[in-house]
Amino acid sequence: MIRVRDIRKSFGSIIAVDGVTFDVHRGEIFGLLGPNGAGKSTAIATCTGQLAPDSGSIEIGEAGSPRAARARALIGLAPQQIALYEELSARENLVFLARVHGMPEPVRRADELLDMVGLLPRARDRVATFSGGMQRRLNLAAALVHNPTAIFLDEPTAGVDPQSRTAILDVVQRLATEGRAVIYTTHYMEEAQRICSRVAIMDRGRVLAIGTVAELIAEHGGDSVVTVDSLAGEHRVRTREPLREIERALAEGGATAVRIEQPDLEMVFLALTGRRLRD
Amino acid sequence: MRAAVFLALKDLRLLMRDRAAAFFTFVFPLAIALFFGYVFSGTTSEPLRVAAFVEQSSPAATMLIKALDEDGGFKLTVTDARAAGEQLVRRGEAVGLLIVPATYAEGIDGVFSGGGAKLGLVVDPSRRAEGAMLVGKIHEVAFRTVFATVGDPVQFARVLDRMEESLKASDLSFTDRLAIRTAMSRARTMSTQGADGSAATQSQSLADWKPVSVDIAELSMRPGVPANSFAISFMQGIAWALFGAVLSFGSGIAEERQRGTLVRLLVSPMSPNQILFGKALACFVTCLATEWMLVFAGMFLFRVEVSHWPLMVAVTLVTAFGFSGIMMLLAAGFRTQGGTQGAGRAVLLVLAMIGGGTVPLVFMPPFLRVASNLSPFKWAVMAAEGATWRSWGMLEMLLPLAVLAAIGVFGLTVGTALVRRSI
Repeated sequence: MIRVRDIRKSFGSIIAVDGVTFDVHRGEIFGLLGPNGAGKSTAIATCTGQLAPDSGSIEIGEAGSPRAARARALIGLAPQQIALYEELSARENLVFLARVHGMPEPVRRADELLDMVGLLPRARDRVATFSGGMQRRLNLAAALVHNPTAIFLDEPTAGVDPQSRTAILDVVQRLATEGRAVIYTTHYMEEAQRICSRVAIMDRGRVLAIGTVAELIAEHGGDSVVTVDSLAGEHRVRTREPLREIERALAEGGATAVRIEQPDLEMVFLALTGRRLRD
Repeated sequence: MRAAVFLALKDLRLLMRDRAAAFFTFVFPLAIALFFGYVFSGTTSEPLRVAAFVEQSSPAATMLIKALDEDGGFKLTVTDARAAGEQLVRRGEAVGLLIVPATYAEGIDGVFSGGGAKLGLVVDPSRRAEGAMLVGKIHEVAFRTVFATVGDPVQFARVLDRMEESLKASDLSFTDRLAIRTAMSRARTMSTQGADGSAATQSQSLADWKPVSVDIAELSMRPGVPANSFAISFMQGIAWALFGAVLSFGSGIAEERQRGTLVRLLVSPMSPNQILFGKALACFVTCLATEWMLVFAGMFLFRVEVSHWPLMVAVTLVTAFGFSGIMMLLAAGFRTQGGTQGAGRAVLLVLAMIGGGTVPLVFMPPFLRVASNLSPFKWAVMAAEGATWRSWGMLEMLLPLAVLAAIGVFGLTVGTALVRRSI
């Protein structure tokens, strides 16, 4: 559905995106994981046609370049910044966008989406009166108003409460289930691990690795760490087979507690860049 | 096209939701028009400004003018010619023109013999309330001047008594004494019962009796001369209406950019040209709405007359188009809302001021009138005046309309190109 080939984008001497290549298929949630300034938002801006790449190509389904009007009709974007008219109500925001996209029955469509993100009871309230989490949910709904098939979500859970985060992640998973291609940028590895079918690790404009979470961990995450507490003290072992190590510790006797630290995407990032994701 | 219309409607809704922007677009121009209208008309607690023209000098006329002049309720300007007085009224510099006819002195002499003095008053038809007040004041002063000769009724009776005694002691013939007694008797009756001799209380008889009558005429407003100060101030208000609209929508692009909604619009099926068209359309509609609001308010509240309706329609359309172009130039110049608002205020304020927003074009000194040619507001105000009190024809209207249209074409073309580059 989304085909990105070797795109590059620089601003003066700063290279924001450097030879990024990936594909995103229908029904897939593709995570772009990286720290702030990794180039995720620039990649999204380029993929949605807001910026023209210096080189490389992007295709949205059969419609081609995202800068073509046909392709734009397929693209849904929830920008990192909450992009809503605060003086308008939640419904007015969605109805306006539905009309701009030429949707039939814009009010019905707006109410459908408000229901989907749990804001229908607040439909008539001005956005300015909403909490940050509610605004995030409406920001997501606004991206879906024209029923797009290629959805770009740029840090959609930034700064939201746990309740709204759960609601947003549920909606994103539902979108994938409906057969849409979703690109999801985040610097929260837990989110990426929870919902993404595949993940691209980005840093300094480049994609360092792409794969499923399990693949990335297996390839770059390193060993699990098994810690065995006994009367003799704490014993830590790095191993690719943690269960076998635990079995061995229990067989030897004297263990009072056993803990396993499995590698995660944080470890993958550390292994790939030598830095922690949140540095 | 439909998407651009929806965008314009959204912007208009946002304008109405932003109380400050709505105030400066719709209420402020009206307030300015009223403020300057009243300032120029002199409708305050200040003395009534009156022009006076004496057709033929006489002691009675001189006494009346002197009394009016000394009365605190008037600020009198005596003119040498009736036309000069009428001109003051037309310009709103006087509420009315008092005409003291050549027959005034004769009328005063016959005030007790069934005749009476007559005065003429020409008033500005749009200032009838002040005109009525003026008539009342003139009666009051005229009454005083006549009674300066007769005093109050009690004193007048004493005077008559003294005259009666003098008459008895005189050596006049019987017929002469009879004639004088008859006149004195009539004067006594008038002072106690009224001029028509009907039974009435003393106070009523004096109150009802008017020593002079005032014939009121409304001044016909000549084309080329404003009917009143509001004819000027409401057209002046148009400058501020346009100022508010351009400032509100000029920052629209920057606002969309800053709130992130521009990104949404750019990834929608709307082209950048359609987005900009929607922005310009919202500005155009607002300019048009505020212009007509002022025209109708002037018409219904202050009798500001539109001399040529088709031209007025053309003026409002072309003006709205021209200022939509200015809005686009403003939008192109700055990327942030603060920058657009700040610079917009600074530049537009100066242009509005020299363009007739504060000092009306007709009152401007020559050098300022020349400088005002640089201001698009000047052409808008002038065109609006042309379709109202200036009573211009198509030929005279051609220049301001052409200038405004050219500004619109330039602004929309260059502004759109620049904004497109920035988004």
